[in-house]
Amino acid sequence: MTITAIVIDDLQLDLADLAHSCGVSQEWVVERVHAGLLCTPMNPGQVRFTSAELTRARRLRNIERNFDANPELAALVVDMMEEIERLKGQINRIEDNCVDL
Amino acid sequence: MQFRDYYQILGVAKTATADEIKKAYRKLARKYHPDVSKEPDAEKKMKEVNEANEVLSDPEKRAAYDQVGQGYRPGQDFQPPPNWDAGFEFSGGGFSGVDMGDASDFFSQLFGQAGARGKRSSHYQSRGEDHHAKIVIELQDAYAGATRSITLQAPDVDAQGRVFTKEHVINVRIPKGVKAGQHIRLNGQGSPGFGGGPAGDLYLEIQFRPDARYRVEERDVYETVPVTPWEAALGASIEVATPSGNVQVKIPANSQSGRKLRLKARGIPGEPAGDLYLLLEIALPPADTEAARQLYETMARELAFNPRSKMGV
Repeated sequence: MTITAIVIDDLQLDLADLAHSCGVSQEWVVERVHAGLLCTPMNPGQVRFTSAELTRARRLRNIERNFDANPELAALVVDMMEEIERLKGQINRIEDNCVDL
Repeated sequence: MQFRDYYQILGVAKTATADEIKKAYRKLARKYHPDVSKEPDAEKKMKEVNEANEVLSDPEKRAAYDQVGQGYRPGQDFQPPPNWDAGFEFSGGGFSGVDMGDASDFFSQLFGQAGARGKRSSHYQSRGEDHHAKIVIELQDAYAGATRSITLQAPDVDAQGRVFTKEHVINVRIPKGVKAGQHIRLNGQGSPGFGGGPAGDLYLEIQFRPDARYRVEERDVYETVPVTPWEAALGASIEVATPSGNVQVKIPANSQSGRKLRLKARGIPGEPAGDLYLLLEIALPPADTEAARQLYETMARELAFNPRSKMGV
């Protein structure tokens, strides 16, 4: 059986899909969108989510769940994870051009 | 099926209080957090820890587990007695720490069965859970698209309501233009639905297999290209192997090491397509023959070139 995968971004997730995919309620997502923790607040009727926001929502959910963290604290941790990823990318670029003496 | 000692996984005594279990879980959740941990197998360990916590932090599940697990040692062959869960009700709901796709056979046997039965009895209809996993592909696959076979293990329910783990192989057609970190979705390949509800979906997060030749940023691809000193100095037309095949590239005269040449729209395809950047690296022929040494000596004599003039020396 061959299944063609759908790229999330070509097709963005709606609120119900994102919530289901993360195993959370739609209210959980809406609260975090309104608080600006998941993405830029938008009109709830037009909410669509990208691949990057799916990753962010799952990370937020894990931090909140694993550590009983409040949403703002979880968002701060996830911000830092994203910053670490960005900096690791920069380090790779520098190391590509670096020779040890 | 092997017995799993959830107390041992969390490193707590069988008499541990709910608070002790929570503390032990948090400590391990931090240690094995897949985004941070340097431990090998962090992701696998985190799944075990989540599963152990899912059972031991829920008084109903813990009581059922304690009862059925009496006298078993970790790794010992285990079969739950028939109707072992009679009298227990696993309500579930809310946050579940275990995606059923991640659950061990042991967990699925014990709690998948009871969960499915409970949900059916109340005429509850719902969509199956979505599963999440990662898939590693070559950078070239993002250029051309690819088909990959993947083996899925998913809990299923037989006619008698017993849960078993079923393995099936599916071919996944990965569209061209995918980026690292992006998710692709296979509709209907998650957990089966309850009460006639639709199956969940399978989400795969794309990762590229590391390839020392290429560095990828979003859809832009960077490739280091060694060139000879005369190609760099005089200019040349050279053949370069790129992820989308060999291309003829014109090297401008007087290029230095580190010069970046952009081949527009030769990065990962998409809207817009990424660019391919060629980073020139001048490779010196070794001075290991008399003829080579003489050529270098001639250059030293004739060119009067000081690359450190900006250092004032």
